[in-house]
Amino acid sequence: MSFITESLRKAVLLILSGSPDVFSAVGTSLNVAVCSIVLASLLGIPAGICTAVAEFRLKRVLMVLLNSLMAVPTVVLGLLVYGLISRQGALGTWNLLFTPSGMIIGLTLLALPIVTNYSLAAVKGADWRIVPTALTLGASWLQSLVQLAREVRFGIFAAVIAGFGRVISEVGVAMMLGGNIRGYTRTMTTAIALETSKGEFAFGLALGIILMGVSLAINTVLTLLQEKRQS
Amino acid sequence: MTNTVYRLASVEVRFGLRLALDIDELEITAGRPHILMGPNGSGKSTLLSVLAFLRKPDHGCVAFSGTPVSWTRKELGSLRKCITLLHQQSYLFSGTVMANVGFGLRLRGAKKEEIRRSVGQTLATVGLAGFETRDAAHLSGGEARRVALARALACRPQVLLLDEPLAHVDQESADIIEELITAQSRDGTTIVMSSHDEHIPERLPSRVIRLKEGRMPRT
Repeated sequence: MSFITESLRKAVLLILSGSPDVFSAVGTSLNVAVCSIVLASLLGIPAGICTAVAEFRLKRVLMVLLNSLMAVPTVVLGLLVYGLISRQGALGTWNLLFTPSGMIIGLTLLALPIVTNYSLAAVKGADWRIVPTALTLGASWLQSLVQLAREVRFGIFAAVIAGFGRVISEVGVAMMLGGNIRGYTRTMTTAIALETSKGEFAFGLALGIILMGVSLAINTVLTLLQEKRQS
Repeated sequence: MTNTVYRLASVEVRFGLRLALDIDELEITAGRPHILMGPNGSGKSTLLSVLAFLRKPDHGCVAFSGTPVSWTRKELGSLRKCITLLHQQSYLFSGTVMANVGFGLRLRGAKKEEIRRSVGQTLATVGLAGFETRDAAHLSGGEARRVALARALACRPQVLLLDEPLAHVDQESADIIEELITAQSRDGTTIVMSSHDEHIPERLPSRVIRLKEGRMPRT
């Protein structure tokens, strides 16, 4: 018990002293997570809305595929992107492996099915009259879809927050594509895994506390959004 | 200049195998109220959605102002700016009454001040002056219907399509809506509305179009 208490004390001190190693990992985590969620949102939100409103032959297949992609193990995704961006891969000449950019590609692909699926679900649960109402008031097809997105904005925010929660807490893709390079690609999760294995429990705990804080903030925002949507 | 707004010929609409609408010939004349009558499921709403260019018929030809509609996205965009449809259960967008009533005007490129003035005037005509800043989600059923009507009227449409505008509203709102329809018709707006009220033609001189199982029975 004293080990936990002592480690906790050291962890709090590390946070309060502004340890460069701790805050470098926090900065890298936030940087790659924000970039990847922005990219995933730019692709996933329109994809989710279009999939929800369009009628096409393979729609059910696509929806099953999107659901399945949400459950893909992160190491498998990391492995596939590793094959793509490693020296022998199709994008090997771009030297993306073990860089934040490489991590962003992997994390974007990880968040994409989540953002797409949640956006799709938000639109499917929306009132069917939104698009026809907008159209009969003179909106173009694109303008009516924008109005639809506005009407389900809380559901779409929830999609983005859920995707962000996934990428900020992820370890497999970050480890495989980032390489856990100190001060460069070391994120909170990869640092926790490494430092704990080296016996630096307090350091891992310090990052764990910050990560828990981020997760708590994400869940609070999600809950508030859900309450707002229900009201 | 033709006096016919819509001309429908051999129009068929199917929902799966069911033939929901089968109109041999129908003309809607400019500036005259037309009332669609018939039991539930007779095709009134389907016909209104065709007239609103929301539903392309599976067969047949629809002409608007003398020109056959080709149903291309570009053409539909400009045609839909000439008409507005008030759905039976009208939907108000989230936000204020001002945002709702000004929606169509914004799409037509109206300036902020013009929108504010026009919204104020239109709300006054539906008996809701001063409602601009109210949250649309907190209106009563009758108020919501009147806001939806104001939103449609604010666009100053050439054709106003109304799907059961008097159903499920309180008497006060029903009277205001009926007066407005009459006034719009007097001002030259072509009105096509569906209704179950057999007495409407007595109050609003109009042409009655009867529908039964998607067809117009010969009288």
